[in-house]
Amino acid sequence: MSDKTMPVEVVSAERHVLSGEITEIYARGVEGEIGILPGHQPALIALDIGPVRMTMADGTKQKIAVHRGVLFVGDDGKVIVLADIAELADDIDVARAERRQRVLEERLASKRDTALVGSLRKQKLRVDIGQGL
Amino acid sequence: MRRPGRTDGDEEDEVAGSGQIRQLKRRIRSVQGTAKITRAMEMIAASRIMKAQGRVRAARPYAEQIHDVIKGLAVSNEVRAHPLLQLREVERVAVVVNTSDQGLAGAYNANVLKVAERTIREEEAAGRSVELYVVGRKGNGYFAYRGRRPKQFWEGVSDTPSFEDAQEIADAVMSRFIPAEVDRVWLVYTDFKSSLTQTPTRMELLPVKPEEFEGGDEISPEFMFEPSQAQLLNRLIPQYVEAKVFHGLLESAASEHANRQRAMKAATDNAKDVAENLSRIMNQARQDQITSEISEIVGGAEALND
Repeated sequence: MSDKTMPVEVVSAERHVLSGEITEIYARGVEGEIGILPGHQPALIALDIGPVRMTMADGTKQKIAVHRGVLFVGDDGKVIVLADIAELADDIDVARAERRQRVLEERLASKRDTALVGSLRKQKLRVDIGQGL
Repeated sequence: MRRPGRTDGDEEDEVAGSGQIRQLKRRIRSVQGTAKITRAMEMIAASRIMKAQGRVRAARPYAEQIHDVIKGLAVSNEVRAHPLLQLREVERVAVVVNTSDQGLAGAYNANVLKVAERTIREEEAAGRSVELYVVGRKGNGYFAYRGRRPKQFWEGVSDTPSFEDAQEIADAVMSRFIPAEVDRVWLVYTDFKSSLTQTPTRMELLPVKPEEFEGGDEISPEFMFEPSQAQLLNRLIPQYVEAKVFHGLLESAASEHANRQRAMKAATDNAKDVAENLSRIMNQARQDQITSEISEIVGGAEALND
């Protein structure tokens, strides 16, 4: 293994999403943005609802919508993203996410509900990632 | 002449008229039509089994990794304090039952409901109150008919459950368990052992047993935690419970399709048998008719000769 890349694995509750070699990974932790480069100290970091961005060994970028997950950097430098939901930009049905976002916004207009706020954030993230923002 | 297994026209005359033959033809066509439908359903179910099995497999790495991380954290942290591990005197029980939305799945629903019913009876016999959480229209109908309205009911989930569905169900019971509104939660589902065997199973979902998190490898001290280990555990244990519910949903979905496939295969075979029997009867009737026509002609000719 070169010290310029690190193996990564993204696993959602429903399936194995992606694995490969990456040069960097950025995510939104519950305590703020984090960036991990090869050779990072072992870590276990809780992730917020947000995008996970990574640069693959061949220079291509990947963006994944992640809802409630943890990022694990092992002793061996391997990075594992474990998330309830992790979706690649290409797998997101933007039209459906937008529809659900609108429904949630209407429901929220009539009553405040923290669960609804969370769902709305998920849909917004989906739409953003799906549109390649 | 009567044949064994004859199902139609027993009350009719020995010699069949052409009206009876027409009727038989129509029945054969209708039975063959049914066979086509059941055959199609059988094949759909068969392909669904494969897909559902694939989903069970695909969900495994997540559950295992979450479990491993919790076990690692549990070595140096006290997990017993977590609200989902609280062992209390059991007074109120919640039962989550996984059934299907659609029927035509053989004894699938009956079998899983039997286990649910037994669980409810046992708990009630011990003087505990039971509240029901039901997935699938069939289970809802079953309990509603018996005057037990489920506290919550989900439909459109059982066929291809998503993790979000599992979260919703898990959250419903966890939000009852944490404030001690229920003291124990059973998960009743059908375990997909193979496409030939599916076993209705019940599992104690809550409280989570501390033993489940034993035997982990200690996490090395150079690890960085964000937020603290205790807070991470607080996040991960509910995720572990959700993964268990998800597993139950996926196993049940695979079992449902397997049962439907078997039921539809039996229906197709039966329809073929019926069609075969009916066409035998029809051929017999046609022969009888021809024989009687010939004997009438021969008899008539002989009468003229005399």
